[in-house]
Amino acid sequence: MSKRKRFGVSQALTRGLSETIHVVENNAGVFRNVVLPLSRVELDPDNPRKLSITLDDMRHGLDKNDGLYQRKSEELEKLKELANTIETSGVINPVVVYKRGEVYRVVAGERRCLASILAGKQEIDARVFNEKPKGFELKLIQWIENTAREDLTLEERIGNIRDIISEYQNQHGKTALSATLIKNITGLSLPQATYYIAVLNAPHDVKMIIENGQVRSLDKAAVLATIESDEIRREAIKACIEGSSLKDLRKIIAREKLHSKNEKTEKAERKRGRVVSRVNMGFTLNPTVVQTIVHSVLNQAEYRKFSDIFSKVDWSHFDQTARAFRKLIEILEQDVR
Amino acid sequence: MKVIAFLNNKGGVGKTTCSRTMAEYLSRTRKMPTLAIDFDPQCNFSHQYLKMEIDPAAPEGLMPPIHPDYSPDNPDDEDWDGRSSIAEIFYGQGVIPYPTYIEHLDLAPGHAEKLLAAESVRKSEVVEKVHKQLTNFLNSPDVQATYKAVVIDTAPSKGPLTVSVIKAATHIVIPSVMEEQPVQGIYGMLQLWMQESLAREKNRPLKLIGILPNMFKQTRLHKDILKSLQDNSAISKYIMPVKLSQRIVFAEIDSEDANPHSIFDFHESHVAKQEALEVCDFISERIFNDE
Repeated sequence: MSKRKRFGVSQALTRGLSETIHVVENNAGVFRNVVLPLSRVELDPDNPRKLSITLDDMRHGLDKNDGLYQRKSEELEKLKELANTIETSGVINPVVVYKRGEVYRVVAGERRCLASILAGKQEIDARVFNEKPKGFELKLIQWIENTAREDLTLEERIGNIRDIISEYQNQHGKTALSATLIKNITGLSLPQATYYIAVLNAPHDVKMIIENGQVRSLDKAAVLATIESDEIRREAIKACIEGSSLKDLRKIIAREKLHSKNEKTEKAERKRGRVVSRVNMGFTLNPTVVQTIVHSVLNQAEYRKFSDIFSKVDWSHFDQTARAFRKLIEILEQDVR
Repeated sequence: MKVIAFLNNKGGVGKTTCSRTMAEYLSRTRKMPTLAIDFDPQCNFSHQYLKMEIDPAAPEGLMPPIHPDYSPDNPDDEDWDGRSSIAEIFYGQGVIPYPTYIEHLDLAPGHAEKLLAAESVRKSEVVEKVHKQLTNFLNSPDVQATYKAVVIDTAPSKGPLTVSVIKAATHIVIPSVMEEQPVQGIYGMLQLWMQESLAREKNRPLKLIGILPNMFKQTRLHKDILKSLQDNSAISKYIMPVKLSQRIVFAEIDSEDANPHSIFDFHESHVAKQEALEVCDFISERIFNDE
């Protein structure tokens, strides 16, 4: 007699059932992916990315009498390229929106929406949040979306960080601003975060050249921002505008520091008393000064291998900074003959 | 007000029998003001409580009889043809539920042609409107004030009618025969449940009470399939621990002049009644004690 047949649900179906259940259990009420009519989409006026072109411009064409006509037509040209790819292969990543009454407000994907209209699309793939993301999360999504883009100006990037920090402080209360904090909320590297702190507190003249686009790189701006002497900063700014490299800028600072150190040393030699047999490294109230020194040394090829030792230092911390500086001296004393 | 719907896009799995049993349980046993809604163009659920009439405009379909409250001489009823089905919600008309022979139970019957028209809608803006109508109706102050429970029987489909039920429901039950094809129907319904769950705000989730093994027979096929669902840890949570067996008595009480006419008319010791009570107790416990 043959074995009695056993019945069961096919594996594919069992898998489908259990996967569906898992999706609901893990994601109910959070977000969903849908195809959205573009007519129901609106842009976020608070998005840190400052596109001047609007949805209405896309729908009805640019108006020659518009004061922003020039800028808008430049933006339109840039969008055409994206529109071409959307026309042929659609939008690859869904845009992110949240429901706001009858319309959907874009959290991330302004350009994709604009370009889709340009490409003659009626709908767009979207990930819909059921509720407005909280201020901080919203800014963070926009920030993450924006950092992946290359055509942001330095000023826009700094603006993003400023907004994220202020949203963070709105939500978590006023907290002391440190590089570590910025690192933790944005996922930036610590040196990058330190640079941002420096430029956020930059003196007026540095802010000016950031604003008018004369300095585009964050590290240059950060180096300029940390120069305390107005005179040297002016010189460095001038050099920067003329196209000096980061290394050159650091040399200007280093030369200046050396110069003032020498003056002091000479004076000391004229003093009476005990023979001076060692160099006193002095102190500073600004840990960023030490950080700049450490980074300047580490930037030289032969010292790069020591970078790891300093990667965990919180430069806003006097203790840690002092220890890091002593460590640097130790390393240099062994190396420099 | 709780809204419970029985869904499966496979036909013949006992949605109507379940809806009927639940509606009668809530109104008779629990004395709860209950509204039964027939959202299936076949109108079988309506036929249990009303003498549905052949629609002269659509001879293959049924329509509700003249409403007992209708009086053609009353000027208030001037614009009314005297019939009222749940499908009026798609036509901007008021729905006037019919009383049934059971105290506490009212019925908003189906109307074949009108429901089919709503079901066949494909244009995206109109579909969206259809989806919302039942929710709007059930949220109206009149309905909210009159009923404590709503029981909805659905069409065997995944179309706009079923979606609108899912959008309006607070709780759903998926009855299924333990056979391959109806179990595939479960998958279709879970997909709809998923879409709706992802779209809803967290504070008003769509609760899946579970999959109800229905028309169960003590055969190897049914037992094996039930067991293979129970063996999967994710699915087993949603397999209800109660079931309804295949019994001819459910068909017998369906006929128009049947006596008894309800499963709850039988003696307490009747095995079918006991089983029905167990199922309804379980569902009602999950709905009303789950605040």
